[in-house]
Amino acid sequence: MVTRREEEEVNRLENQVENGGGGVWEYLCLVHKLKLRRSDMVLKHGLSILNDKKKRSALGPEEWTLYEQVAVAAMDCQSNDAAKDCIKVLQRKFPGSKRVGRLEAMLLEARGLWSEAENAYSSLLEENPFDQVVHKRRVAMAKAQGNTSAAIDWLNKYLDLFMADHEAWRELAEIYVSLQMYKQAVFCYEELILSQPTVPLHHLAYADVLYTLGGLENLQTAKKYYASTIDSGGKSTRALFGICLCTSAIGQLTKGRNKEDKDSLELQSLSAMALEKDYKQRAPSKVSVLSSTLRSLKI
Amino acid sequence: MGAGFLVGVIGVLILSHATYSTIQYRALLKITEEEFSGPPIDVVIELIISLVLCLWAAMAAPGKFKSIHPQSEENRVIALPANLDFMIFNHRGKIFPLETELKLK
Repeated sequence: MVTRREEEEVNRLENQVENGGGGVWEYLCLVHKLKLRRSDMVLKHGLSILNDKKKRSALGPEEWTLYEQVAVAAMDCQSNDAAKDCIKVLQRKFPGSKRVGRLEAMLLEARGLWSEAENAYSSLLEENPFDQVVHKRRVAMAKAQGNTSAAIDWLNKYLDLFMADHEAWRELAEIYVSLQMYKQAVFCYEELILSQPTVPLHHLAYADVLYTLGGLENLQTAKKYYASTIDSGGKSTRALFGICLCTSAIGQLTKGRNKEDKDSLELQSLSAMALEKDYKQRAPSKVSVLSSTLRSLKI
Repeated sequence: MGAGFLVGVIGVLILSHATYSTIQYRALLKITEEEFSGPPIDVVIELIISLVLCLWAAMAAPGKFKSIHPQSEENRVIALPANLDFMIFNHRGKIFPLETELKLK
């Protein structure tokens, strides 16, 4: 998870690195730790360390993880030659390593040689059938080829084996959402909330999917989860809007037999107030747009 | 940091004064040939005061505390990590390759 403080730190270091102010290694470590996808930066500055013999040997054993990080970043930037060179260095250092074998298969993938990559992954899996990363790479390969249904099949098989992998649940949920299979996505997000109950963004995504599904019961649950997003994660403009939209949609559905309790009325007026306050603070020119939107929602 | 550091200096000064008085007291005991039963009360008070002051300085001088509350503004989760295990390479970035001079020497 990337918190506010960590994001500020990354942006500060990125600025510093871009302007040649040093701190390249710290930046690369932070990117690795937070699992950010800044491949162009990692490639450019990682290579600058690796090409400098003095800086490279100062890293000690960390040097090899940097080679790996730069290789993946190079593949992501389509500079396959640089990736190939990095992998060659690793191969010379660790002959017969499976981790390097994985990188080689990824290089095949980056070049678009799908069947060769598939063969490489299957031979890696034969040696170690419980290599989670290789399983995930197969899913990603199916996705890269545009074969989403195969990706879903692979992911479901994978999740039968490794149920505690929340990243895989998130990937499955995102694939389902992209295919508009919201009922299945709801299930995945429920699993995610169960495994990481303190992450407000899962609550938010769950509420979003429920709101999209519609229906009185789903809308009420969505409203609760929008509220829990705010409760657990501080301010979230999206969740505030979600509460307003849910309340308005529920109001339209239960027209005539209006027996809403006092709490939900209080919740909607509170969230509208919070939105107005936030807009006044951060975007004063958009306050009129906001108030007309809220009026159209009859809040 | 300034105030915390000053408090620490005062604490250490009081501590050294307590040490000095203890040494003097023991010399006095030797002269009067009395049994040592315990440190005098003013040394104990000085020790307690210097303990509190040094603790205060140790908390305040090195830096600021970071919030541990998950709901605080700086600990707000604003993004999930990119799902790097499922990263795919044939994305639209393929059309805009980077500078080609980036190479491992």
